[in-house]
Amino acid sequence: MSQPVHASAELAPAARRIAAAAFVRKYFWGILFLLPAVIVFLLFLWMPIVKGFIYSFYHVDFVKGNEFVGWDNYRAVLDNPDVGIAVKNTLYYMFLGLVIGFWVPILFAILISELRRFQGFVRVIAYLPNVLPVIVLYGLWRWFYDPVGPVNAGLTQLGQDQILFMSDPKWSMVSIVIMETWQQFGAGMLIYLAAILSIPRDWYEAAEIDGAGIWQRIRHVTLPSIRGLIGLLFILQLIATSQGLQAQLAMLDGGPNKATLTYALLIVKSAFNQLNYGVAAAMGVLMFLVLGALAVIQYRLSERGERA
Amino acid sequence: MQNLDRGILSVYDYRKKSNSILFFIAVIAIVGMVASMLYPILITVFNGLKSREEVFAFPPTFVPSQWVWENFDKGWHYIDLMQFLRNTLSIFAGNLVATVLILGLAAFSLSKLQIPYRKPIYFFFLSTLFIPPTTYIIPNFVNLRDLGLLNTFWAFWLPAGASAFYLLLLKNFFDGIHNEMFEAARIDGASEWRCFIQIALPLSVPIFSTLAIFVFSNAWNDWFWPNLVLQGDNIPLATAIYKFVINARGLPMNVRFAILTMVMLPPIIVFLVFQKYIMRGLQLGGVKG
Repeated sequence: MSQPVHASAELAPAARRIAAAAFVRKYFWGILFLLPAVIVFLLFLWMPIVKGFIYSFYHVDFVKGNEFVGWDNYRAVLDNPDVGIAVKNTLYYMFLGLVIGFWVPILFAILISELRRFQGFVRVIAYLPNVLPVIVLYGLWRWFYDPVGPVNAGLTQLGQDQILFMSDPKWSMVSIVIMETWQQFGAGMLIYLAAILSIPRDWYEAAEIDGAGIWQRIRHVTLPSIRGLIGLLFILQLIATSQGLQAQLAMLDGGPNKATLTYALLIVKSAFNQLNYGVAAAMGVLMFLVLGALAVIQYRLSERGERA
Repeated sequence: MQNLDRGILSVYDYRKKSNSILFFIAVIAIVGMVASMLYPILITVFNGLKSREEVFAFPPTFVPSQWVWENFDKGWHYIDLMQFLRNTLSIFAGNLVATVLILGLAAFSLSKLQIPYRKPIYFFFLSTLFIPPTTYIIPNFVNLRDLGLLNTFWAFWLPAGASAFYLLLLKNFFDGIHNEMFEAARIDGASEWRCFIQIALPLSVPIFSTLAIFVFSNAWNDWFWPNLVLQGDNIPLATAIYKFVINARGLPMNVRFAILTMVMLPPIIVFLVFQKYIMRGLQLGGVKG
């Protein structure tokens, strides 16, 4: 029906019109339906992404207009002593997220998969904190961590010293990670649980006949079966925690003494407290370059997951 | 799923005493987990019902000794919750419409229609999944400002149509609908628009309900981005709570908890009612970037 494309250069205008008409007729609805999405993706995703690179070379001023400043913004980032602190805090936050939070959903998924009764109930309850609005979470846990809150009351009754969860720089980041683990572990748990329940029962049967104990069955059957998922969720957690800022902002505003000032929070603060939009954009670009590596790994893993 | 023949443990394992102790410990751990999930949620409700003195009692009590219902009345009038609730619901409704129309049409097109340059178009949409949003958070804000959308709900409604993740979910769903249905409609003279509105949409109610729940919880939860983009009377509920309740100094603790309870209950009720859709949505969306 349609004309061969390579000949179009030599075609007479009339024939070219026919080819164009055929192209339009064939693809009209397809293109029309895609158009709104293409426009909003361009305007609200690709524009900001590209503008980020552009602004990182400009001094952004809403009143006087933007001014090209070359690498100045990047120099300002590297000279800022807070950046080093923020990077360290972010790495610490990511590390704590793994140490405190990463294994919890795996453990409970295995435990819950063994429940014969009330499994549905336990699942719903474990997921319940996820539906709590984060803002309620912050208000609630601030009170929990209060010097006269219930956690410290429990500690005093056990004869322990009070812990200043929020105002002690040693504890503040740990407190945030514990709170977020409490809220989020249910989602990961459900994902692991679905994978564990889909492991063929005969594998355990075979392992048991071969004399494998319970630990060996978990170690050699359960865990290897969900290895791909563990890897994927590991990367996803790193990507998520490397961008963490909301809890740090809402609970402590980066304090005490910059102990919870993460890199993402510093970006936001440079933009909205110091009005250095250009510098903030440059920080975003630097973050993009680092996280890009993680994203590639995530892509590889999810591709492998789809093939399996 | 309850009546499997066996899991990791078999019937024989239960007979051994050491194993049943192990299982008992596991049950204790699960009960402890369930308690630690429920306690904070219940104490929020109960604290909202205590008297001013009792909230500060040390050690804290669990169930109020005296039920003070006025706290809710005071909380309701402390800020104009209705106004902020309306804002949240407007954002939710507009976001949902944008998701259904913009992403629904695009997913339909990708799945069922002929389009040129398929590969580059896929790349154009899906590569955005792998760019962490925090890295362009500032240019995103400046971009909305350049477009003149600051302090309008359009700054939420339009970008709601720019979600590669939802697009992917929708497209995968449409892929599961048989082409024959659309071919039959086309032979009967239906336009592609009618195919979408009268066939594709009604068949996709399950996926759209799942998306509606995602969109709802986003609109209800997000306090950070609206705090940057919206001001004054336009801010949604979560942002208002952040501004006027979490950071408030003079607000009594019991009234604060009453407000938190009122904000917390709607999503919990939605969750418990639509559990089925949500649990399925999690299977779809659990592994998102």
